[in-house]
Amino acid sequence: MVLIKDGKRLDGRDFDELRDVKMEVSVLERAVGSAYMEWGKNKVMAAVYGPRELHPKFLQDPTKALLRCTYNLAPFSVEERKRPGPDRRSVEISKVTTEALSSVVMLEKFPNTVIDVFIEILQADAGTRCVGLTAASLALADAGIPMRDLVAACSAGKIQGEIVVDLMKEEDNYGECDLPLAIIPRKGEVVLLQMDGKLTKDEFKKAYELAFKGAMKVYEMQKNTLLGSMKRFVGEGGNDDGN
Amino acid sequence: MLNVKDRDLVIPGQLLGENLYHDLNCFRENNHVYSSVEGMVRIEGKRVKVIPSTGIYIPKEDDVIIGVITNVLVDIFFVDINSPYNCSMRGEEVSKDAMKKDLSRYLKVGDIITAKISEVNEVYSCQLIRPWKIEGGLIIDVNPKRVPRVIGKRRSMLNMIKEKTKSKIIVGQNGKIWIKGGNVDLAVRIIKRIERYAQTRGLTDKIAEILKKES
Repeated sequence: MVLIKDGKRLDGRDFDELRDVKMEVSVLERAVGSAYMEWGKNKVMAAVYGPRELHPKFLQDPTKALLRCTYNLAPFSVEERKRPGPDRRSVEISKVTTEALSSVVMLEKFPNTVIDVFIEILQADAGTRCVGLTAASLALADAGIPMRDLVAACSAGKIQGEIVVDLMKEEDNYGECDLPLAIIPRKGEVVLLQMDGKLTKDEFKKAYELAFKGAMKVYEMQKNTLLGSMKRFVGEGGNDDGN
Repeated sequence: MLNVKDRDLVIPGQLLGENLYHDLNCFRENNHVYSSVEGMVRIEGKRVKVIPSTGIYIPKEDDVIIGVITNVLVDIFFVDINSPYNCSMRGEEVSKDAMKKDLSRYLKVGDIITAKISEVNEVYSCQLIRPWKIEGGLIIDVNPKRVPRVIGKRRSMLNMIKEKTKSKIIVGQNGKIWIKGGNVDLAVRIIKRIERYAQTRGLTDKIAEILKKES
């Protein structure tokens, strides 16, 4: 399959160009914090419940809270119906997401409790773990849970010998390599790095750079989304007739 | 050195400044002070704090709360206070010889009380004192982090609402507000409005204006 034509990718993007990203927070009424993201054709909903009491009690830790992320791919999110329920892949993604978020959330502030994060992939189009993680960190911030920083993620990869950022489905399926990366933007620390496929040392460096830059762009968008959502609470004088 | 202005909006991990004293919802790394939640910065001299826009209730000593009795044992009550931590009340609070009497004579499961938190330990388990049973009226939920605005400086906002609506109001720091009698409708509307526009400048004046117009 031809993935690169006249120096452009299938959807007309440059090699270092992200897909369109749309973010929204506080979308769910009953959740403490929530976020909805559209990243290209990916559609992801993240919800945070808690901190709340942890059962079974033997899992409680009096020094810190437990963070529990659940990544779930909806049966209708992919082309062929996915069998519902957790499988090897989603259990793994739940685990790496939990570990990535644990490094920023101040769990020690809520002893004996649990913070539940649910990531629901409504429509998948490659790079869902990056979208899920980005949405989850927005939802945590929206829930008012203390964090050291946000987490921003982006992927890079290799298609037909070229290193490109933010692979879409065709590129992921027919490309040579996929490299999702999540960072703490303030320090530039890496909290998630996986690789599916093969890259040489130089290619890896280039892919890493591209993914890092992409993640920084995503971080700027996260920042604007959160600041925008807060403007509602500080609007001048409360002049509109909301009630 | 400050990186933000008073009343700026910040997000988690945003740099507030260097060599500052920090208060609530901030943290320090190598002399740099960062915000840990999304909210609004307040600066007093060299001290910064962040007022969170949302969050759950964490028990604090001397807070007045509204809670529901969830269990009655021989000499102890368990109370749900809209928080992830357990909260109990000694039977002696309702009777002199609690061990000899059946405590459910005084307070049953499902009864709603208002009480004061007397003691909180390091894992936020807390003890209540001086319960008072709530009967009638209605209870509304507001975000616990915005309760201070409903009360106002030296209770100014709350007194104003009470005076204009002629309602009995008890504000629980845990985000439960009990309203009875008077113009309940107006009181609920006003409190919901305060919650919505919690961090607005000149909110008290605006609310006073609405109260004057509608009562």
